Amino acid sequence: MAGEEEERKKKGFKLLGILDVQNTPCAREALLHGAGGSAVAGLLHFLVTSRVKRSFDVGFAGFMLTTLGSWFYCRLKNAKLRVQQRMVQEGIKNKILYEGTPLDPTNKPRPSGPS
Amino acid sequence: MAYPLQLGLQDATSPVMEELIQFHDHTLMIALLVSTMVFYTILTSVTTKLTNKNMLDSQGIETIWTIAPALILILIAMPSLRVLYMMDEVNNPHLTVKTIGHQWYWSYEYTDYKNLEFDSYMIPTQDLIPRQFRLFDTDHRMVVPTDSPVRMLITADDVIHSTAVPTLGVKMDAIPGRLNQTTFVVSHPGVFYGQCSEICGANHSFMPITVEAIPLIHFEDWSTSMLAKI
Repeated sequence: MAGEEEERKKKGFKLLGILDVQNTPCAREALLHGAGGSAVAGLLHFLVTSRVKRSFDVGFAGFMLTTLGSWFYCRLKNAKLRVQQRMVQEGIKNKILYEGTPLDPTNKPRPSGPS
Repeated sequence: MAYPLQLGLQDATSPVMEELIQFHDHTLMIALLVSTMVFYTILTSVTTKLTNKNMLDSQGIETIWTIAPALILILIAMPSLRVLYMMDEVNNPHLTVKTIGHQWYWSYEYTDYKNLEFDSYMIPTQDLIPRQFRLFDTDHRMVVPTDSPVRMLITADDVIHSTAVPTLGVKMDAIPGRLNQTTFVVSHPGVFYGQCSEICGANHSFMPITVEAIPLIHFEDWSTSMLAKI
């Protein structure tokens, strides 16, 4: 099992030889969105103007903007999730540590009354 | 641990290394987009039929290609400084381990409670048993408890060495006459390998660092057994 997973990791596709698209979070989505944005922008521009070279330029600009936008949005979402995960982990650790002790925040104080 | 022909970073075993990997991915994506843009610009410049031998003064594009790189650099610098300062945070270590580099082995000292000291030599290739890794496994490992901040004080006995464990995001020079400090937290149990990272003589490639992280309750058993052995 571990061997298969390692093999899959080793075969990860490296874009331009540097970015491991499969194993980098958000990379695959960003690049796919970028490709889609580029195709849409370039095609629309060509349909309106019939200028081939300029449409390629517009398509490229669309690729850059869509990739960047999708990348930063996804990374920001991931970062917020990681912060929440850490808080939950800390909370679980503290709950286990303090359960049953006077420091347990979930302990309701016993009402003091006549014995 | 590392595998043959690996180009990327190893998986993180400490929170600092996780942040370093996040920063690395962020910067790599920016580098990729800039490279793509440069490649595309070169392609269009080389294939265009438009030429103007008298073109001077292009304030517009010069402004853009001055401000845009500055903005990109700010976008890279902000997370970079964040991780840099995060690595220097004081985290009240639970344990201090002294690491001394020698030619050509490491020695570790745990002197918080009792004086536990031992040397860590690489296991020669001819003495390896089937489950051990060539050039990585050692006779004694530096054992630390998981989920506990550990302070490592590093120095050397003879020449400059450097202790590095990539999966923990630890690399620090061991300089004779100087005490360097680094801290780390190991997130989960396991065995993690690193190699000497400063040329130190004939056997520079044969003095690895092996860190074993175990739960705290077993750490106490280990230190007791090591004290009894030594």
